[in-house]
Amino acid sequence: MTKPITTRTRRRRRARIIAPVRRRFGLRTRLTVTFTLGAAVLSASLAFITFGLTRQNLIDQRQNSAVTRAFANADRLAVELPSATTPTAVSRSLNALSRPNAANAVLSSDGRWYATNGSAFDQQSIPESLTVMVAGGQAARMRTPVNGSTQLIVGVPVPDLDAQYFESVPLADLQHTLNGLAMTLLIASVLTTAAGALIGYWASRRVFAPLLDVGTAAGAIAGGRLDTRLPEGVDPDLDLISRPFNEMAQALEDRIERDARFASEVSHELRSPLMTLAASIEVLENTRDDLPERARTALELLSADIDRLQQLVEDLLEISRFDVGAITLHLEEVLVVELVYQSVSILGGGGVPVIHDVDTEDLIVRVDKRRFGRVIANLLDNADRHAGGATSVTIERTDNRIHISIEDHGNGVPEDERDIVFDRFSRGSEGGNRSNDTGVGLGLALIDEHVRLHGGRVWVEDRRDGDHGARFIVELPLVDPPPPDENGDAEL
Amino acid sequence: MGTRILTVEDDERIRTAVRLALEDEGWEVEEADTGEDALQAFTRQPSDVVLIDIMLPGIDGFDVCRSIRRVSDVPIVMVTARADTHDVVAGLEAGADDYLTKPFAPKELSARIRALLRRARTIDLAPTHLRFGDLEIIPDEGIVLRDNAEVHLTKTEFRLLVELASAPGRVFSREVLLERIWGYGYFGDGRLVDVHVRRLRMKVEVDPANPRHVMTIRGLGYKLQQ
Repeated sequence: MTKPITTRTRRRRRARIIAPVRRRFGLRTRLTVTFTLGAAVLSASLAFITFGLTRQNLIDQRQNSAVTRAFANADRLAVELPSATTPTAVSRSLNALSRPNAANAVLSSDGRWYATNGSAFDQQSIPESLTVMVAGGQAARMRTPVNGSTQLIVGVPVPDLDAQYFESVPLADLQHTLNGLAMTLLIASVLTTAAGALIGYWASRRVFAPLLDVGTAAGAIAGGRLDTRLPEGVDPDLDLISRPFNEMAQALEDRIERDARFASEVSHELRSPLMTLAASIEVLENTRDDLPERARTALELLSADIDRLQQLVEDLLEISRFDVGAITLHLEEVLVVELVYQSVSILGGGGVPVIHDVDTEDLIVRVDKRRFGRVIANLLDNADRHAGGATSVTIERTDNRIHISIEDHGNGVPEDERDIVFDRFSRGSEGGNRSNDTGVGLGLALIDEHVRLHGGRVWVEDRRDGDHGARFIVELPLVDPPPPDENGDAEL
Repeated sequence: MGTRILTVEDDERIRTAVRLALEDEGWEVEEADTGEDALQAFTRQPSDVVLIDIMLPGIDGFDVCRSIRRVSDVPIVMVTARADTHDVVAGLEAGADDYLTKPFAPKELSARIRALLRRARTIDLAPTHLRFGDLEIIPDEGIVLRDNAEVHLTKTEFRLLVELASAPGRVFSREVLLERIWGYGYFGDGRLVDVHVRRLRMKVEVDPANPRHVMTIRGLGYKLQQ
């Protein structure tokens, strides 16, 4: 008895349509091979049948005419032999018989053997069994090699006389024809098989092309272009794929948009009260000195948490903009060294030494200054919150890319957490420790999004000097980089 | 009488909080909750700075800005929801001098207002009378003449022109102009400069599409030439 599947279990169950049989060859190879084998089998059987039928036909024809003629000749001999009294006359009668197709004849009459002139065919060539059979009054025929070539020998008893007439018809020319036919059929089979392979290859490509389109579209969606769709209505069969695909993409887009819009709307709604709070706190701060000690402490708590809340709302808004692809970059070409110095001094509050190679001074990157400045500032901020502050910012060139590294003297990031620290609201092993933490887990996720939007990447590793601490590296592509300067590795 | 600031904001709580914070700076604050109210208040008694939220019921912030701009060169600060939308450029085109995104710290607002209220730097300019072809600048009096007819510039436009005129032919980067005129540093929004240059050209150039005075030097910045 089958159990009905409830909606709940059905939803939970992962939709797996095809059993995952791992195949050694790809679909295209298999399709091509199938076509090739099909063509080979079809053309070979066709060739065999054609050959067999033709051969049978040709031989039957030759045989029938030989038998008919042999009987006719025997009848004629039956008329002529009684009047041929000398062996010469018998021979003459024999030679006078109609023998097309280079047939030769042998006659055994009254125990004497006669053969047609100039012929290698004589009584020796006739198999014993045939002689016996014909001598017994039974007409017979047999295919047998005579002097190295296949001959058809027809033996007919001459009616009313004690004589047997034998006629041999060469089949060599038939063999020749059949060989030619076989060769032709072989070539035709090979060509057909090759054509089958080509058609298979072409068809598999044709069949596969829409699948590749599906792959490309899926890749585009995964890459964030959620409005990617497959063309519909072009081919009714392909619509079986493209329609559900597009429905899926639409559902996905709707859902992501809904989520992002929700985050965005919530954040927007939070902005107005936050604005009031921030302004009111500032008014209170202005009267800070007049407040009693307890109220002042409360104000500090309030102030710090409003900052934190404000940052969280800003980050949420920003990340929801990333999610709906609503980020517009104002790209400018700037000197990377100046950008980093300004980011550290203005946005990062200064105080962290910036180290750069001489050969990096002319290097240009294409960035949205203000967004990228936030990346550096957020990394410094991250070091402040989790590692007691950054110890240095280093700018180095690696081929056509620039590495901006921020090092700290904290506990570092364990190897297994190095990827997830860039996830949203990920706090790594410090997750439970919020005591002194004014930050939220969106900072590194936003850094990652920003850097990627700039065509770069960000990762974390150990400090280079082997001491405890982390090293966050932002890699950006350079704009028209000059060839690396060999002498420019002195540090400033 | 002290500096008067008109704030146009439909959210009463924000308006009150901002008023309290600005009053702490020693400024006098007048409030309006709709665009119509704001225009009436401004007509009754022009203020020294106007703060306008773009999202207003009735006539929106852009229209309020344009209406005020028609009758006054008062510094205007726009409040927008987002920095990376078209709103910022539209607000600047409508005549705003600067913008802030919500939520902003009142301290930031005060800093912006102070920067806008600063007078044009006239101290470096030895001559009191500058002439660039058909263009004539009298910094001390805050007057610009084109073909002997006075051109009405906003305070910010005037300061931009005088800054460029302080070193004719020299190229000023966006960063330098942002710092000297708006008080922003390296991370200021370059669109402030670009839109103001565009507006300046509309007023001082005969053919703004083919400027002869305020020149763009691609990738570097702007300069004023004879």
